[in-house]
Amino acid sequence: MLEKIARPEEIRRWDGDMPVRHRYTPGVAGDAFFTALKDRGVLLGSRCEHCSYTYVPARLFCERCFAELAADTEVGPGGELVSFTIVFVGIEGEPLESPRTIGAVRLDGADAVVIHRVLEPGEEPLEIGERVEVVVRPDTQRTGSVLDIEGFRVGG
Amino acid sequence: MARRVAVVGAGMTKFVRRAQETGKELAWEASREALASCELPLDRIDAVCLTSAPDAFDGVHMKGEYLSDGAGAFGRPYMRTYVGGGSGVFTAIQAYYTVASGMADVVLAVAEEKMSSTQPHPQGAFLTIFDNILERPLGPNLLWIFALEMNRYMTVHGIDKRDIAAVAVKNKRNAADHPAALLGQADITIEDVLASETLAWPVQRLDVSPISDGAVAIVVASEEAAKQITSDPVWIQGVGWNLDTAYWTNRDLVFPEYVANAARMAYGMAGVTEPRKQIHVAEPYDPFDYKELHHLEGLLLFDKGKAPEAARDGVLDRKGDLPSCPSGGLLGVGNPIAAAGLMKLAELFWQLRGEAGARQVPGTPERGVAQAWGDLMQVGTVVVMGREGGPPTTATQLETPPAATPPAATPATSLSDAEFRSATGAVEDEIGAKYAWDAGVAIGRFLDGLREGKILGRECRVCHRVLVPPRMFCERDFRGTDAWVQVENTGVVQTFSICNVRWDMQPLDEPELPAVISIDGSNGGFLHTLGEVKPDEVTIGMKVEAVWKPVGERTGSILDIAYFRPRTDG
Repeated sequence: MLEKIARPEEIRRWDGDMPVRHRYTPGVAGDAFFTALKDRGVLLGSRCEHCSYTYVPARLFCERCFAELAADTEVGPGGELVSFTIVFVGIEGEPLESPRTIGAVRLDGADAVVIHRVLEPGEEPLEIGERVEVVVRPDTQRTGSVLDIEGFRVGG
Repeated sequence: MARRVAVVGAGMTKFVRRAQETGKELAWEASREALASCELPLDRIDAVCLTSAPDAFDGVHMKGEYLSDGAGAFGRPYMRTYVGGGSGVFTAIQAYYTVASGMADVVLAVAEEKMSSTQPHPQGAFLTIFDNILERPLGPNLLWIFALEMNRYMTVHGIDKRDIAAVAVKNKRNAADHPAALLGQADITIEDVLASETLAWPVQRLDVSPISDGAVAIVVASEEAAKQITSDPVWIQGVGWNLDTAYWTNRDLVFPEYVANAARMAYGMAGVTEPRKQIHVAEPYDPFDYKELHHLEGLLLFDKGKAPEAARDGVLDRKGDLPSCPSGGLLGVGNPIAAAGLMKLAELFWQLRGEAGARQVPGTPERGVAQAWGDLMQVGTVVVMGREGGPPTTATQLETPPAATPPAATPATSLSDAEFRSATGAVEDEIGAKYAWDAGVAIGRFLDGLREGKILGRECRVCHRVLVPPRMFCERDFRGTDAWVQVENTGVVQTFSICNVRWDMQPLDEPELPAVISIDGSNGGFLHTLGEVKPDEVTIGMKVEAVWKPVGERTGSILDIAYFRPRTDG
């Protein structure tokens, strides 16, 4: 093994990348979810009666029993904060100008948990188990994106 | 003693250019079809085997984890295997040994691929399969490898391109009877293939299978479980897999020894001693038309160089003596890479049960072989399937033949270009990762040599080879190589191509002339490009010499050799 190289800038190296990008389309269930979010500002889930479980976002199939599901269940806008974190650094480890709070929320009527930003958490420390509410952007600003949801507001 | 293992169900989605379904949704559609075909609920599945080719196609890192729910893996023992294009057949091998070992009684094997996500062209995901330091600076694309191999195969055996084109015609015609096919075409002719655009001579557009999205699943069971599930199991009689050298330019480009080794392993397990008599239907891997022929020879079903005559004479037709790719293969049904390999197992399952409808080969086939190939075109994966003890149930089945297998209603919704571009909720992104590749010990010294105008190799004194490009270990003897050797600046063209397109299929202003060159004084081949020669004057066997960049312009790069040209010293 050759190691403990003192001057890494002198190592002969070839810089490169993989010159592809990807276009991700949302699929059958995703199409229903994003269309409802964009057009009506609501969050759609899928209920599997056999497994007594409501997925959100909507899904085409139940991963537990393999039944076909529909985007048939409106969930939220209220929910319960299941967990949260406060993020101080960015993706390359750089400090953020202001910390961001990310919450994991079980929306009312759903079994599955979703994550999004927690909006202006304020001075009071967040508590797991407290009530939150989804804030959806005004319809003129919605494009059919997860960012049509602004985040979770504490309370509600 | 290994347990006996059978295939008891199969299902697949349509293969389409661009599926609306996500990868998970495709995997679920195929898995549900496979379970429904043998009336099994998901809770009868003990373990799940999944495969999918490069993560970069779907654009999802750790694609095995991503696809797991669609494959029915929630709460079950689960593993994704991956051997490039060989993956689809390999996942059936994985299912085989999972059951044969007694680890599970009923296994779902699933293969998925969604290539349409990759922009601008899925080939971009393949660029880093080339050596990043020695090959990528030359601007290679995937077509180079196939064109170089095809040219040498044709030249060494004196094969007429028409006989190779006959394979594309056969498969696209066969696919016209496949309800899930993307490119079935009942009226295609050899002239159509020969008139299609030349991508990298001798590879033309219609010699190549299409980029596709799709998924396939099979249900594999132990003997005891199989007999409970169906009265008509198809047995996995033998499996084999084998890997050739990692240095593709050192490989025998005329005969796929790795496929032959895998076939010998599978035939040995199956008790097949005379494959030409005992194999009644074949599904060899056909991403390119010449590859089906190459692989039929590797499967020991034809003498070397003789498969093209069989294609010409109709031996490989559905009603010929050895039906080959009665499904329509990758060339006709489509090539969602991993899924395409498992599709071949599904086809044998339907053929051997007499359920292939309009695609059914005549007679009563008792045994078939499926094969795929992949990694850096170096792995062979082979499965032998059979009815065992003759076909007593075939006549009974023909009384109530299914309308079609797979069912014509098999899902997978094709998106138009406009729908793909405008889909609500769609996101476009790039990985954005950058890499810095180190030259390493052997190649670092080799590049220093190039800067000095010398080509250096490493000698192994056990197998008596001089390796160019050099490596510090001999992969055959698995020991350190012994000494540095300076070899000649001259060599012989082993094979070449005339490439007209870039990796993203955009036309080039001037064709490129990639070649595999055997450097005098070394063993094996070496990838570079040719210059100072007209494309139509290049021949295999041509003697060439390195043209060096001026001393001041050399940087210690493979491009310090500008190109190779015909020798000027006669």
